[in-house]
Amino acid sequence: MNLPMTAAQIRFATLWRRECNRFLKIKKQTIGAPMLETFLYITVFGAALGSRIKHLHGIDYILFVIPGLIMMAFSTNAFTNNSSSILQQKFQGAIQDQLSSPASPAELLLAFSLGGFMRGLAVAFLTFIVSVVLVGLPVEHVLVLIPSLALVGFFFSQLGVLIGVRAEQFDDVAFAQTFVLQPLIFLGGVFYSAALLPQPFETLTRFDPIFYMINLVRYGFVGFSEVSIALSLLALTAATTALFLFNLRLFSRGYRLRA
Amino acid sequence: MKALDITDLEKRYPTGVEALRGVSLEIEEGEFFGLLGPNGAGKSTLIHCTTGLAQPTGGSISIFGHDAIANYAEARQAVGLAPQEPNVDWFLTVEETLDYHAGYFGMPKRERRDRTKELLETFSLTEKRDERTRTLSGGMKRRLILARAVMHRPRLLILDEPTAGVDVELRLELWHYVQKINQEGTTILLTTHYLEEAEQLCDRIAFIADGQIVAEGTSPELAERFDVPNLEDAYLALVGRKELSRSHIELSADEVEA
Repeated sequence: MNLPMTAAQIRFATLWRRECNRFLKIKKQTIGAPMLETFLYITVFGAALGSRIKHLHGIDYILFVIPGLIMMAFSTNAFTNNSSSILQQKFQGAIQDQLSSPASPAELLLAFSLGGFMRGLAVAFLTFIVSVVLVGLPVEHVLVLIPSLALVGFFFSQLGVLIGVRAEQFDDVAFAQTFVLQPLIFLGGVFYSAALLPQPFETLTRFDPIFYMINLVRYGFVGFSEVSIALSLLALTAATTALFLFNLRLFSRGYRLRA
Repeated sequence: MKALDITDLEKRYPTGVEALRGVSLEIEEGEFFGLLGPNGAGKSTLIHCTTGLAQPTGGSISIFGHDAIANYAEARQAVGLAPQEPNVDWFLTVEETLDYHAGYFGMPKRERRDRTKELLETFSLTEKRDERTRTLSGGMKRRLILARAVMHRPRLLILDEPTAGVDVELRLELWHYVQKINQEGTTILLTTHYLEEAEQLCDRIAFIADGQIVAEGTSPELAERFDVPNLEDAYLALVGRKELSRSHIELSADEVEA
């Protein structure tokens, strides 16, 4: 028996649908381009560099790299989607239609967050499927992998929302992505093991929060990690919760959304 | 019952600008109310505070008995807003714009579908239903904005300069529609710079200047209050530009002929 949806459920479903509809309408840019980018990385670092490196910590180099690429695809797409979507709607003024609706700050925040989450998930999932088919990517610890990817996706969705809300021009979003996010991801060990780095870079890598995220995801796929899984999961859960609560406070105050 | 009850409303922006300085206003259910004032007087800020787009720094707003802050969901459910700028979502089609808006207000799918069809026809948008909003002409965007504002059947419709820049034909179409829904029971709050429209349409009018309501009443009452023959002259007296009165201009023309 199908129970009718409540007004609140309809509202949330519509807010969420709007966010997903936006990126699906421009899927060449939002799904196609990131997929191509990921496969270029796999080709360059996996096939070309992999023919020289062969193994890292006893794992095929290509299999060592792909979990990081999946995590990178999930995080950058979740971030970019939300920051762009919010900023575009602020520019157009279209966000007023949602802000003047009965939607609560939590509903708005979750809907904006989940749009990017879904886009990141779509790109990550497609990359995963292709990686399974092409190089036989394993899943060693599904119970670590699923919560890790979910937390990574949600964390970067929240970060995208935060930057989108704060941003006053597209340059602000590009700055955060190019000068903060990309260096942290690249230096977090997507393509290499921190153990291979000379000091002080090995130690510095451990101050990069993305290093722990990459290791969680890598552990879930290939069973190898350079950090404590339990501690990393706990820290990531705490960071994601803190960021969500911070954003919720901003939404409740109407920070840069309501005059 | 009061559709809108504003008491001592204040809005000070972080820049220090005081946009509203103790505004009090009452609009009865079913009224067609006009809010007139020069640019920067506080009209849009008052509307934004009422619809949740701006946060008051003092005073209170009650919409059909619901506090606009404490009971924002109930209050906003009762309000439809057609803003000054056509703030349509470029990613959506005309039909999606209406459907999504109704969804934000919790309207079930079947009701949304029927209401969308009805309003597309009413506003002559049926042929444009699958077009992206960014491809619409200015006039079409105006129609869509008004259709969107009434999509969830609000009890209070707020029109912020809805006919700015539209041609005569569309303006009359829009006024016919809002007059019709007003007669059916929808309360209307209108801001406009077209004084003859306010005079013809509104039951009561308030003048706002420098963040304060400076006069309120029917069009003849306002004219009497400023000791002038009509609403336009009352407005000119308010903004300190009596010399622009048509009677002065006509008088000058007579002097030239003489």
